[in-house]
Amino acid sequence: MNEFNNRIAAQRQILQIVNRKRWEKEELLGLSSKAIERWVSVNQINPELRLVELIITASGKLFFLANKSQEQISEEYKMISREIADISRAIELEIG
Amino acid sequence: MHIYGFGSICRGEISLGSDIDILAIVESYDSRIDPNTFSVYSYKRIQELWLEGNPFAWHLSLESRLLFSSDKLDYLKVLGTPENYKNCVRDCEKFFSLFREAHASIITSNNSRVFDLSTVFLSIRNIATCFSLGVIEQPDFSRNSALRLGVNSIPLALDTYHILERARILCTRGYGKNITDDEIDTTLRRLNEIHKWMYNLVEKAKEHERV
Repeated sequence: MNEFNNRIAAQRQILQIVNRKRWEKEELLGLSSKAIERWVSVNQINPELRLVELIITASGKLFFLANKSQEQISEEYKMISREIADISRAIELEIG
Repeated sequence: MHIYGFGSICRGEISLGSDIDILAIVESYDSRIDPNTFSVYSYKRIQELWLEGNPFAWHLSLESRLLFSSDKLDYLKVLGTPENYKNCVRDCEKFFSLFREAHASIITSNNSRVFDLSTVFLSIRNIATCFSLGVIEQPDFSRNSALRLGVNSIPLALDTYHILERARILCTRGYGKNITDDEIDTTLRRLNEIHKWMYNLVEKAKEHERV
């Protein structure tokens, strides 16, 4: 699979983990900063929770990859993909 | 550093759901630039996009406006016209695949379905833009490019199309009224039509490449 579609699949995987939990008002709709802000605000979630911090970190790493040059991408992509997988597991533990 | 406006604001297509797209081209990491506000590209990456004839290069070439230049030059204008767009079939297949993944996800999972609808809209828009640039050679970079392909436009009722568009704006900009379960069900019933439309675009792109 190509990198663009991989990033979308990684977003989907994280959202599906977060949304296993029934949120009071609205599920997490996306991993953009504005979608995360909306989810925190609508559900009155404490923005200092570790779960929120992990989601923001995952979001930053996914969007960071988007604009890299081809030369940089292969090694960095592998490294950040591993980091995103670790964060997914940490989110899974937080969700319980 | 060079800063450009691009996207809907340069076409005068303003709505409450519109974002302002700003591109910053930089030499290296610059802590003053918030990646949530700017699309940040290195000069090297922009040059690569120009050499690939990438649709984003064509978009910037045709629809961007210089806002700031540290050297008084219009960098993108100096780069000239991007190379011919050669990867239309590959890109159309990529977005068709993205659609199929979202389709499979939405029918097997009960959560994050608005995100899947948003991905359906992303794949519709992107395949239409690639097709407009690579096959009919009338590039359309607007959010509604799929409605502007003439006989190849997406054969989808506008209310369903607008549900998908709303899903995209919700997931990227966190803006708008959430999608109801009824709206999701309405849209699900139309996914096979979208699948057929995309399949036909890919086939036409392949035929165009052969000719």
